[in-house]
Amino acid sequence: MKQRKLGLVFGLAAVLLLAAALLAAALLAGSPGRTESVQGAMRDAVLHDVNQISLFGLKAVTPGMISALTVTAALLIAAACLRVFVIPKFRYTPGRLQLLLEEAVGLFDNMARSNSPHRNRFLGLYLFSVGTYIFIGTLFELLGLQAVTVAGHPITLPAPLSDVNAAIATGTLSYLVIVSGAVAGNGPKGVLKALKEFSLPISMSFRLFGALLSGLLVTELVYYYVSLSFVLPVVVGVLFTLLHALVQTYVLTMLTALYYGEVSEPSHKEPKKLQAKKA
Amino acid sequence: MPLNIDFQQILLHWMNLAILTGGLYVLLYKPVKQFMDKREAHYQELERQAAGKLAQAEQLKAERQAQLDQAGEEIRQARAKAQQSAQQAAQEQLDQAQAQAQHIVAKAQAEAEQSRERIRRESQRELRELAAQAAKRLAARPGTDPFDQFLDLAEGGKSHESR
Repeated sequence: MKQRKLGLVFGLAAVLLLAAALLAAALLAGSPGRTESVQGAMRDAVLHDVNQISLFGLKAVTPGMISALTVTAALLIAAACLRVFVIPKFRYTPGRLQLLLEEAVGLFDNMARSNSPHRNRFLGLYLFSVGTYIFIGTLFELLGLQAVTVAGHPITLPAPLSDVNAAIATGTLSYLVIVSGAVAGNGPKGVLKALKEFSLPISMSFRLFGALLSGLLVTELVYYYVSLSFVLPVVVGVLFTLLHALVQTYVLTMLTALYYGEVSEPSHKEPKKLQAKKA
Repeated sequence: MPLNIDFQQILLHWMNLAILTGGLYVLLYKPVKQFMDKREAHYQELERQAAGKLAQAEQLKAERQAQLDQAGEEIRQARAKAQQSAQQAAQEQLDQAQAQAQHIVAKAQAEAEQSRERIRRESQRELRELAAQAAKRLAARPGTDPFDQFLDLAEGGKSHESR
């Protein structure tokens, strides 16, 4: 007990010393000066027309594209590690990590089953994939990974979905999945059923974009002024990001599951006699 | 394009999502789901086995109950049979006893009748002998009224007038 307390005190002292050292280093190093105004930073956060990054020297892309590729690579590497080191050791009585993985898979699988009882095999996979992407992608901005723009300025990589192209891609892909469910459930007639919800890809895309962008703008604003950069980012940066990572994951996956279930449900034809009677 | 929308980048994002979906399916979703299904099947099998054993136990219980009921019925029948045979034996004994009693009574009655007849005959014979003796004595003593003499003899030699 005494040793534990002693360890805690030493740990705390080490953290405080590190914080003090970092503060001193920051003060001594000084600031290179602002390269852009707050208006410019905000505009670029929305449009990404200035700070673009080269994609393997092939094309200048938005930082969101680089974030998306980084998130995908990180997720695939983590999945490969889990596949090799964790999954073979799965037991009938699960440990913590196994429980976490099973909960993650079970959550989206159950969401697909409950919202689309007729056809849910692919939907479960898609929800798991896109849900993981949105959740991890939103938390990705907390890492504050740096990249260099084509103009040579350093830039912090944002959440992938704060890029309008990524949001549109996710929204339209979700809509395509819904259309595929309609076709699989009802044949060519299902397309008409899905096309009735023509506003869905736009609403899905811009809902995601708006939600993620607002988070990004608030964070940009907070970090732009040095006086706001202490304590406040703990709430704005971490808690808000965690919260809207959960909310956006839930909203997009739930909407996709709901519409998929609705359009993939086989239509029941009423007998002609019954129709005549009703008329 | 407004908002700096770039179709090439949208296609790149699609490709990125497709790769992610495929990769996650192969590496994570499929194996975890397979394991979960396997475990579910395992527990379902256990449940099925338990249900089978329970059904077997229920069947065994029903069989034992039927055997118990049958044994109870047999016991009841045997008891009834024993009671019946005991009643029958008792009745037979009673009948036999009654027959014996009747026989004894009849025999006793016959013997009593015989005794009574014998005693009556002996009494008559003794009376006749007495009467004959008295008549002889009367006939032997002259001067006395034969009837009085007879009465005296009959009363043990005392004169009937003295009383």
